[in-house]
Amino acid sequence: MKTWASIVIATVVAGAPSLALAHHSFAAFDRSKKVVLVGVVKDFQWTNPHAWIQLVVQDTQGHQTEWGVECGSPNMMARTGWKKGLLAPGDQVVVTVNPLLDGRPNGSLVSITLNDGTVLGPGDAPAPRPLGSSATR
Amino acid sequence: MSAPIRLALLVVVATLASCGAPQPETGAAAKPRGAGERGFAGVFVPTGSFEDPAGPPPFQNTRWPATPPFTAWGAEESRRLADPASLKTCSPNGPVFFMSEVGIFPLEFLEAPDQIVILREASGMPRRIYMDGRAHPEDLEPSWMGHSIGRWEGDTLVVDTVGLNGKARAMNGVGSNARVSEDDAKPRMPSSDKLHLVERMKLVANGELLEDELTIVDPKTYTEPVILKHYFQRRPDIDMLEYYCNDNPREDTVVSGPGK
Repeated sequence: MKTWASIVIATVVAGAPSLALAHHSFAAFDRSKKVVLVGVVKDFQWTNPHAWIQLVVQDTQGHQTEWGVECGSPNMMARTGWKKGLLAPGDQVVVTVNPLLDGRPNGSLVSITLNDGTVLGPGDAPAPRPLGSSATR
Repeated sequence: MSAPIRLALLVVVATLASCGAPQPETGAAAKPRGAGERGFAGVFVPTGSFEDPAGPPPFQNTRWPATPPFTAWGAEESRRLADPASLKTCSPNGPVFFMSEVGIFPLEFLEAPDQIVILREASGMPRRIYMDGRAHPEDLEPSWMGHSIGRWEGDTLVVDTVGLNGKARAMNGVGSNARVSEDDAKPRMPSSDKLHLVERMKLVANGELLEDELTIVDPKTYTEPVILKHYFQRRPDIDMLEYYCNDNPREDTVVSGPGK
């Protein structure tokens, strides 16, 4: 495996992390592995069925690799604090993904740290409410 | 006309109207008999999650059977749908998928005098339940959502659905082999054009939960009926959002690398 200056292969976690992406199979991703990418946003696609971050990551030799990072749907993301305007081309971010099993530069978003330190996940279902609390707005 | 005069006229008209209006009854007999005003209208979030599809007790969703009573055709169709290559991820969901998913996308029930309409945030097509006493047409054309007619049995809405085209996603088809939950590792649960779905919907937990008991009769796919119960929590704090699935169909990139 190449050594990326700005990629950290994180510890293999025990058990699959919680992930609320539902549109399709996630069998292609290695959910036991987390890869941390430090890169520059090339494009942020605020789209269904999934939003995507195109992230340019540079290694120590100056070689650049573009990663595709799959997020949840804008619905699920908006309900956890995401907005379309949170990411723009040129932003430097730290992204943790479950990478593709086959090693190609593509991952399923676990979390992202924005410029201002805000940490967001891939989006989620509406936060559950205990029974008895949903009768009024 | 000045504002005080307009107001005075309104008061007079309202007073006259109330004189002729029948006095409200008390008890169950006072409930309107139409489709509307039964308290079903509103946004509901399916209970349960991928990590815990049954949801919290005591109102727990029925889990899909681990060993479905497949016919030979049903077993083969289940295997076919388990292949990610066969999954058309933006296909319409179908009525069972609508009513048995866990809590990612809300449903909205709309009540009109002669129809109840159910919208699912992740699906562009509504479920339209005719409440005007009509029967299923004899020359019914197959469709994604089928033809639904409903009637009230007390406070229970009984919905009968036929006329499916058999092309909707598997009824538990969120993500085959996703390994997100136990349910996702179970066999795909297909439905065919022979599906006959009978649902009994009612409000429980002081109206906060909507219970749907689904009886899935599909002799082409299953040798016996499959019965599921699912619960939906009323969420007036949530508004429905848009979801146009084909906006950016990048499924290919999951297997072919980045790029739009």
